[in-house]
Amino acid sequence: MKRKREAPVTVTGTRPGDCHPLYTLGQIEIPGEHDARERSWALLEAAFADRQPSPRRSHWPRVAAVAVALSALLAAALSSPGRAVVEEIREVVGVERAQPALFSLPAPGRLLVASDAGVWVVQEDGSRRLLGDYREASWSPFGRFVVAARENELAALEPDGDVRWTLARPGARSPRWAGTETDTRIAYVDRTGIRVVAGDGTGDRLLVPGARGQLAWRPGARRELAYGSSQEVQVLDVDTGRVVWRAAHRPRLPVTGIAWSADGSRLLVLSRSALRVYGARGNLPYEVGPGADPFQAAGIAPNGRAAAFVQQGGGRSQLWIVPRIRPDGSAARRLFGGAGGFEDLSWSPDGEWLLVTWPAADQWVFARVDGRGIRAVSNISKQFRSGSFPRVEGWCCTH
Amino acid sequence: MRTARDERARVRGAQGGSVSDLEALFRTHWPRAYRAAYLVTHDAAAAEDIAQESFLAALRALDTFDRRRPFGAWLHRIVVNRAIDWTRARRLRSEIELSESLQTSERSEAPGEDVLAALAQLAPEHRAVVVMRYLLEFTPGEIADALGLPRGTVNSRLRRGLDTLGEEL
Repeated sequence: MKRKREAPVTVTGTRPGDCHPLYTLGQIEIPGEHDARERSWALLEAAFADRQPSPRRSHWPRVAAVAVALSALLAAALSSPGRAVVEEIREVVGVERAQPALFSLPAPGRLLVASDAGVWVVQEDGSRRLLGDYREASWSPFGRFVVAARENELAALEPDGDVRWTLARPGARSPRWAGTETDTRIAYVDRTGIRVVAGDGTGDRLLVPGARGQLAWRPGARRELAYGSSQEVQVLDVDTGRVVWRAAHRPRLPVTGIAWSADGSRLLVLSRSALRVYGARGNLPYEVGPGADPFQAAGIAPNGRAAAFVQQGGGRSQLWIVPRIRPDGSAARRLFGGAGGFEDLSWSPDGEWLLVTWPAADQWVFARVDGRGIRAVSNISKQFRSGSFPRVEGWCCTH
Repeated sequence: MRTARDERARVRGAQGGSVSDLEALFRTHWPRAYRAAYLVTHDAAAAEDIAQESFLAALRALDTFDRRRPFGAWLHRIVVNRAIDWTRARRLRSEIELSESLQTSERSEAPGEDVLAALAQLAPEHRAVVVMRYLLEFTPGEIADALGLPRGTVNSRLRRGLDTLGEEL
């Protein structure tokens, strides 16, 4: 394209002597520009690394690197415990020096917890508020609202419990809220299948008839929803219904967990037999199992670069961390182990801490990702007025 | 000072697998891509996605990209078209209610705020034309080509946009 201009314009969009306000367009401060640039570069760099090599270049170095990395991972996952960064909790069930109550969270953010009494919001200072008699809930993308479900109702709530709207739907469950500050939507499952409704409660519609899978919205402006069934993982463009990508799920076991990284660059998919982390375009940069001990829970770091998972075997549970999700990355290392089963796993919004729930010990265990510390809290069921052990539904948000 | 020859060399390097050349292209063109997307959408998250998607689209087409064409103009054309599509598809949803009230009460007087506010008054199509002309420095002919519009339509949108902005500013 040949370009012809009447007057030279500088990189910032200003011209000497020109005071028209529009020439300040290049100088207006745009929120979050630096962070957005670095996130985008990380994604582009990863996509560039995943790009098909040109025909003249050999595939073998990359294949070998992937094979070596996967071997290391499998060895870590299948073998007896490797280097434990934190001292193993011996045969005692529970961390011995645990706090008797949740006095504070170790990192910024708020927790959403579901117990027999209903759904709770836990503030950073440890204070708790019961939102109402709901079975499950999740945060809106910026943590300003909560979407909650009970048997035949979906409800959008303020974090103080005020109800913004409700929608009567039979068997509503698994609500997930996503979007930008100006455009949000909620996906959920009811007896008809996977449905989508706008963030203001309007426009409810059936998206995938008969489907029952785990749901996860890709963060950001794209309206892409991932769901996992026993047979495959699909990412759908919700506006058009187009399948953006799909991946067969083998062995055919139900997907028990699915989550995008906060930057939308990675999708973690968990079943009892395997943990897989896909790239945003459906490539598979990381996999552990099948053949390993059963997986109980997993989570992906907010920046998408690390993952953590819980395995159960021989009456014990282990918390593992994968510091770098890359074919040339290091293997998983064990952060923490103990008798009985660990249940939920959540990353703190700042990516510095992991929260693991431990029903047999009636404890929550906060473990530093770098392995340099552990904090445990006892009497969890009592604090949330629950006969069964409370579930952690999400840890949100730093802003 | 960067030249068209430097840029062609970087495109060639990226086509050959050089991460540093790709990064140089990214760091040169991302700020304007993001800025243009933001000025059309007025939504930082959407702008990030749009700029990011546009670079990924460029990456997918890298092997077949004609190095005689200016990379930036090609990229920015993708960005603006995506930003217009996003803005048209946007529906106001409930989270805006709170954020808008906060923005109103906490609005700062940072440089360019008045221009940003005035720009928001324009229809997305007019906004895009103004951004392409005054930020990306496209000529009216190039804008017409990029948006698939008659040149007269571009000129009238530009004129009408500037008139509205003149009233607002």
